Amino acid sequence: MKLNILIGGKAGQGIGKISSIVSNILAKYGYSTFNYRDYQSLIRGGHNFNILTISDRQISSNGSKLDGIIALDDKTPELHKEKLKENGFIVSPESFEDLGRNLNVALAGALIKILGIDKEILTEEIKEQLGEEAVIAAEKGYESQKVRFNLERQEKDIKIMSGSQAIALGAENSGLDFYFAYPMTPATEVLNELAKSKKVKVFQPESEISTINIALGTSFTGKKAMVGTSGGGFDLMTEALSFQGQSEIPLVIYLATRPGPGTGLPTYTMQADLNVALGAGHGEFPRIVISPGDIIESIEKTNEAFYLTQKFNTVAILLSDKHLAENEFSFDKKPNEILKIEERTDTPGKKIIKKSSYEHDEEGNTIELGEIAVKNAEKRLEKEKQIKKEAEKFEMFKIHGKKDSKNLILGFGSTKGVILDSIEDLDVKFLQIIYLEPFSNQVKKEIEKADKVISIELNSTAQLAKLIKKQTGIEIQNKILKYDGRPFTNDELKNKIEELI
Amino acid sequence: MIKEKLKTENENTWCPGCSNFFILEAVKRTLSKLIEQGEKQENFAMVTGIGCHAKIFDYLNISGIYGLHGRVIPTAMGIKIGNPDLKVIGFAGDGDTYAEGMAHFIHAFRYNSDMTLIVHDNQSFSLTTGQSTPTSRQGFKNKVTPEGELNHPFNPIKLSLGAGASFVARCNVKDIKHTSEILEKAIKHKGFSYIEIVQPCKIFNPMPNIEKLMYKIEDNTDKLKAEQLADEWDYNSEQGKIAIGVIYQTSKPTFQEKLS
Repeated sequence: MKLNILIGGKAGQGIGKISSIVSNILAKYGYSTFNYRDYQSLIRGGHNFNILTISDRQISSNGSKLDGIIALDDKTPELHKEKLKENGFIVSPESFEDLGRNLNVALAGALIKILGIDKEILTEEIKEQLGEEAVIAAEKGYESQKVRFNLERQEKDIKIMSGSQAIALGAENSGLDFYFAYPMTPATEVLNELAKSKKVKVFQPESEISTINIALGTSFTGKKAMVGTSGGGFDLMTEALSFQGQSEIPLVIYLATRPGPGTGLPTYTMQADLNVALGAGHGEFPRIVISPGDIIESIEKTNEAFYLTQKFNTVAILLSDKHLAENEFSFDKKPNEILKIEERTDTPGKKIIKKSSYEHDEEGNTIELGEIAVKNAEKRLEKEKQIKKEAEKFEMFKIHGKKDSKNLILGFGSTKGVILDSIEDLDVKFLQIIYLEPFSNQVKKEIEKADKVISIELNSTAQLAKLIKKQTGIEIQNKILKYDGRPFTNDELKNKIEELI
Repeated sequence: MIKEKLKTENENTWCPGCSNFFILEAVKRTLSKLIEQGEKQENFAMVTGIGCHAKIFDYLNISGIYGLHGRVIPTAMGIKIGNPDLKVIGFAGDGDTYAEGMAHFIHAFRYNSDMTLIVHDNQSFSLTTGQSTPTSRQGFKNKVTPEGELNHPFNPIKLSLGAGASFVARCNVKDIKHTSEILEKAIKHKGFSYIEIVQPCKIFNPMPNIEKLMYKIEDNTDKLKAEQLADEWDYNSEQGKIAIGVIYQTSKPTFQEKLS
């Protein structure tokens, strides 16, 4: 069972609250939800919507057809009714006009009734989230509707999180001391989330340039530091990324991408910054680029990023995007045990220690001799190998779907959810690449086993396919690319895969 | 004896007679004194930019980061955030601070992080062979502007006061003893202490008459007077009076106090 319900209105009307009330209730009821947030770069007005997908099984994507529309304004049904299924429902705001700011609460109540969930559960959730006063509005909404779907309670332990919350949790688990960031969508939520933490201190400096240099200074003292940004801010950080390569001060960078070039589509999603994550910064130096695909991986892989950077005094880029960062996903699994990270002891205060942006000797003194340059370059190359060896202890890729299929799908990052939902009934194996640098040798072997290989990416130039070509020498013939800033819907993607296999 | 421990074995590549030698000597004297007073040598940390000034990194035996051009302030601020027990000193050039790193400079006064910034201001980019910086005088001749620099310089002292500085001092590079005393006051100041050292460059900007304009002042805590002192020299003319000493000091909450 799958239901796609669109909740739309103007920015500021509280669309997110409806999703949050309903998905929390559904989680307690044992149902999986995926909440897609489509919003524009404005604070009031315009047209925003969420698509809340509900399923009795794990779901991480939405379909293109709607089972219902919850409208906070008159524009919403007009804009979306084309996608409404024949027997779909619309709940419009007219009958709740006297409720003012509580219109959204009433509509949440209405949806709960439509789903056939008991009123007591609604009342309890509203009291918990919003207090006693909102209950009247929620009940008014509830009473206005008839039951359309009789959802039966399932015994499952379901939690809900956004990718941003998961990254923040992974960082906190790893013993992060300081998080520095300049606000930029879609990375800002991690800053907001960690600002609530009692263990982590956050600071917002005057620019991304300042942010990353402050982080390197902080990390020099032995503390764990992390920065977060999106494409444009990452471009500004590039200078210091290269400085990291020379100074070998550990750093974790959270890069949540959105469509460019330039300001692009600031509140939408794209996987177009893989190249920049892999290639930014002048000179040649080791780096780690990890792209988690879901909530659990966001927690676990953030932990691995800290483990590896502290162990090898290197930089790791956690590559995510708006889709994973800002949408809310339900899940019923637990992350791996937290890795033990050794404290660094080579820190100022304990002894005299020098780090440098110049080529330098082991004590940090500037040396411009050719043989030292060669020695250091070779040390950096050797470090790359050591990092790869250590990373092989973790899951650098995952295989999903039909393990013996000759049809192989390749993907990375946030498309994991929709790919999994699309291939349920197909003769397809899905190779999810998590470590983009270092790159596992196993990927080549898996590709060689397949007859048909398809790369699925949210960009226009197939950056993953190009990386695979570089790493394995294999040209990926089939590509499914999308670059309108919107994620794939599961039925759309399923059709595209079926056309190719 | 302590001063010996602050030395390194690295070959010094400043030009013979370079005034950076005076700054190095002043810093060693101050640090020696502070170490004698009980501070641990391991508890000092420096950050340098890129330029002639930055070579001090290799000549001073304390912890630190040889950072990026223009980024001395954020890097040093990060060290202080990471370990508030360290005494953090940033060495930066005028190009470093007032060109590439100007945004950091202005915000540093707002944050008031408990650290010291020493600007080696020779009013030229000397390591790249003498181009103009934001404090070069109008008409300053160099390879890029052979007819003379087009623009009027910044007055960084005035700028710092406008930005809310809690400690501003100016030093004459040739007066090692006085510079060392000012540096001690700066390091002991709670908050962001900024020292602008007027420093001729023998090769690219000798400023032979500059010292004649200088006069020493008593430590000043009066804001109005500080602004008057800042206005006495516009960094452009070869006239006016150049006040040397603590131009302004006041007490403000430090970044560390605000963050905790």
